[in-house]
Amino acid sequence: MKLSKDLLKKMIRSVKNTKPDEIGCGECFDDLHKFAEMELAGKSPEEALPLVKEHLDRCGNCREEYEALLEAMKNLENSV
Amino acid sequence: MLNWFKRRKKKRTSYRSNDEWIEDLQNPPDEGAIEDLRNILIRGLKPALAKYVDRELEQFVEDIAQDGLLKILDNIDTFRGESKFTTWAMKIAVREGLTELRRKRYDDISIEDLKPEGEGEEVFSMAVSDDQPGPDRTTHEAQLMEKMKQIIDEELTKKQKQAIQALMVQGLPVSVVAEQMGTNRNALYKVVHDARLKIKNRFEVEGIDPDEMLNDL
Repeated sequence: MKLSKDLLKKMIRSVKNTKPDEIGCGECFDDLHKFAEMELAGKSPEEALPLVKEHLDRCGNCREEYEALLEAMKNLENSV
Repeated sequence: MLNWFKRRKKKRTSYRSNDEWIEDLQNPPDEGAIEDLRNILIRGLKPALAKYVDRELEQFVEDIAQDGLLKILDNIDTFRGESKFTTWAMKIAVREGLTELRRKRYDDISIEDLKPEGEGEEVFSMAVSDDQPGPDRTTHEAQLMEKMKQIIDEELTKKQKQAIQALMVQGLPVSVVAEQMGTNRNALYKVVHDARLKIKNRFEVEGIDPDEMLNDL
């Protein structure tokens, strides 16, 4: 595997945005339902749960799951 | 007394408060409540997973709802009432579905070079690519790449290099890589976080400004 310019940029950005107090996927998952409900209620989850927001910005898998959860809950609300 | 409880549970409509869900799904779980929850999961999962599933969506969603239900019942005592019960339950089912889809999608990738016990192989060869020769690559760019290679070689453990190789270079999902490296997603995230912190600290020690590096590339 070779280090391309794009990969190097990606790594530098990722390093640059690294913070000591990041939470992992498990801690993000623990709060994901709260975060989603705040979003659906039109509140500001990124203010109440900033570490979750930062994790979602970094972690593609968690972000994908969060978006799918929002989609699921929106459809449930609409179908009630 | 037990019959009174049974009769009362049967009277529930599909709407339940959090307390009612917990009561109905525990000791022992009420069939009607399980069926209601299954239907809710299916109604949510279908639109949420539709774009990821190209065939037999109905069957897939039903299977995931069933697996999700088991996980929800297993973990019901961890629900702390911080949201609607159904949001918490859906979170578990959605993760179940997407994890399964990722597992299927990457089912055929070789895991040999991801195994921690793999010996002898250079798992993170950072040799500068020679596929873009000539004027596009300045000497300075090549120096930056060599610098990064040196920092990675000197600072990161073999496991950290394996994780970065799989996640950033190969672009594999964290859930798939975690499974193949014999760890869990949270622990793998921590491994990579620790690696990023080490590189960041080394940047600081050497007075390297990431923004300057990005501008130079």
